Amino acid sequence: MNMAVNLGGISMNNPVTTASGTFGFGLEYQPYVALQRLGAIIVKGTTLKPRLGNPPPRIAETPSGMLNAIGLQNPGVERVAEEIMPRLAALGVPVIVNIAGDTVEDYAQVARRLDSVPGVAGLEVNISCPNVKKGGIQFGSDPYTAAEVTRAVKASAGLPVIVKLSPNVTDLVTMAEAVAGAGADALSMINTLLGMAIDVDRRRPVLGNITGGLSGPAVRPVAVRAVWQVHRALPLLPILGMGGIMTARDALEFILAGATAVAVGTGNFVNPRATLDVVEGIEQYMIDHGFVDISELVGLAQRYPNKE
Amino acid sequence: MSQLVQAEITDCREPAPGVWVTEFLAPSLAQAAMPGQFLHIRCGEGSDPLLRRPISIHSVDRLSGRMKIMFQVVGKGTAWLAGRRDGFLDIMGPLGRGFTVFTGEQASHNYNRFIVVGGGIGAAPLYFLLQEIARAGHAQRVKVLLGARNAHQLLIPDAAEELGFAVRVATDDGSAGHRGLVTDLLAEELQRKPDYVYACGPSPMLKVLCAMLNDAGVPGEVSVEERMACGVGACLSCVCRVKDANGMEIYRHACVDGPVFSAGEVIW
Ligand SMILES: Cc1cc2nc3c(=O)[nH]c(=O)nc-3n(C[C@H](O)[C@H](O)[C@H](O)COP(=O)(O)OP(=O)(O)OC[C@H]3O[C@@H](n4cnc5c(N)ncnc54)[C@H](O)[C@@H]3O)c2cc1C
Ligand SMILES: Cc1cc2nc3c(=O)[nH]c(=O)nc-3n(C[C@H](O)[C@H](O)[C@H](O)COP(=O)(O)O)c2cc1C
Ligand code: FES
Repeated sequence: MNMAVNLGGISMNNPVTTASGTFGFGLEYQPYVALQRLGAIIVKGTTLKPRLGNPPPRIAETPSGMLNAIGLQNPGVERVAEEIMPRLAALGVPVIVNIAGDTVEDYAQVARRLDSVPGVAGLEVNISCPNVKKGGIQFGSDPYTAAEVTRAVKASAGLPVIVKLSPNVTDLVTMAEAVAGAGADALSMINTLLGMAIDVDRRRPVLGNITGGLSGPAVRPVAVRAVWQVHRALPLLPILGMGGIMTARDALEFILAGATAVAVGTGNFVNPRATLDVVEGIEQYMIDHGFVDISELVGLAQRYPNKE
Repeated sequence: MSQLVQAEITDCREPAPGVWVTEFLAPSLAQAAMPGQFLHIRCGEGSDPLLRRPISIHSVDRLSGRMKIMFQVVGKGTAWLAGRRDGFLDIMGPLGRGFTVFTGEQASHNYNRFIVVGGGIGAAPLYFLLQEIARAGHAQRVKVLLGARNAHQLLIPDAAEELGFAVRVATDDGSAGHRGLVTDLLAEELQRKPDYVYACGPSPMLKVLCAMLNDAGVPGEVSVEERMACGVGACLSCVCRVKDANGMEIYRHACVDGPVFSAGEVIW
């Protein structure tokens, strides 16, 4: 049976990775997960300079989901390159660094710094973080700037570039086409949905940052739809699907909709072994249903579309 | 090293209105656990509530492998937990950095007189600390101060006395011990220059307590609460503002750098 996939130039032994920001820099989950068994590890959003992030409270739970407003807290690209990557590189698993910035030039500089760092297998370009004032979502809601960021990152690094899209736009397909045209090797979707919760007893917003990004099972239908639509429009561009994956069956929804690989995010918090459970569950599904190569499943549900 | 276990529930009781103690069998956790550490517990089988709930370790019996948690019902997760009479709990732990327990030479020479201060449900993790102090043979050196709204809500005074500790209590309504705040009792005790203070309780109490310790020049440790998602340092949600060695303000993570911080470093 073949579980290996190629995500826009990144070879993964299986299609399961970790969603940025939910798996730290990889090592935090080592007591629970044999990291070598993951298809890849995607680490926390990394910026040019260290970032402190937003004031607490940074999370709130909502029905079958959570809101977060971490605000891209990270030690900066220099420390990631010097201190963190050497430890991750030793694992022998492809490591994808999620990058963010305030300006197009920031993205380019972070990409340049990471280009020759051993162990970095690819870059995931976050143009969709809802929790920072500058950068983030602002780049991800306008096709022109999204393409500009993509081009700048492509020009700054020889690494495969995955562009992470936001669901907080009216026309996701246009965004996907724009970044694909600018050279993206793959797409990641979805980032969190902009949301908010209010503490009724105290009559004020729950989060320190007022609004936050919604993730978890509550967003899965939105994410599956996003993958479906974009895969339909751009069937040759590999997609990394994520949003509310807790089990193998959840992951299979994404693959059947057209995702080449999947990432587990919030699910890690609930079940620290979720990634491995998904790998094993997909294997079992393939055995049970007689599939020999995971690629047979990618986009399979598109063959039986309902009336449109 | 922290683990993921399925722990069989062996007992469940309600020692005070709305406060529950659940006992379960978890030998490997019991071996590894230190006072002040917490467990990250799945409260429910489905996706609502979704996230685990952090609950401190209340007591440990390393010989039998039994552990207890003591918790207050405040919302969905804790209500679900209070409803468990048998079956298994899905637990990650032990997590975080707990209290410093002084033993041997250090306890005899530098740190002789201790005060342990618990406010409300904050008494829960302190019982495990008291167990360890008693085990090390230092119960006579410790004064335990407990505060609650009323006599019914006072937790662990009898259990602490049984371990050999001197206990003083304060209640808001005066239904037991001193009428007023537990920090009033602390003010008296600070006159006698204790060497070290441990505390857990609501934030307003800890804020006052840290200021008092600071003024008195007495070192100590407090256990803080922050909202947590992962419990292992991966999501960066549980930030707590502290002063670093140079007095600079930085964020640290309650789940891995705490929940116990030194009283002088927390910025309230
Ligand atoms: C390290 C640590 C150890 C803890 N140990 C204990 C313990 O031993 N016993 C105990 O009773 N409680 C303890 N708590 C608090 C406990 O985690 C919360 O009461 C619990 O998560 C609430 O879950 P819920 O689903 O019942 O409430 P929810 O429905 O999630 O929330 C109900 C209300 O509880 C409050 N709340 C929610 N999460 C927290 C939180 N993390 N901290 C404080 N308040 C919160 C909010 O104000 C909210 O309005 C601890 C918290 C931490 C961080
Ligand atoms: C706590 C938290 C932090 C996150 N941080 C980042 C980040 O730094 N960069 C990024 O691109 N996405 C970040 N995300 C978004 C996730 O990578 C993912 O796209 C989203 O959570 C949807 O997947 P899920 O429902 O499985 O969590 C974060 C999500 C959470 C919950
Ligand atoms: S709870 Fe995730 S970092 Fe502390």
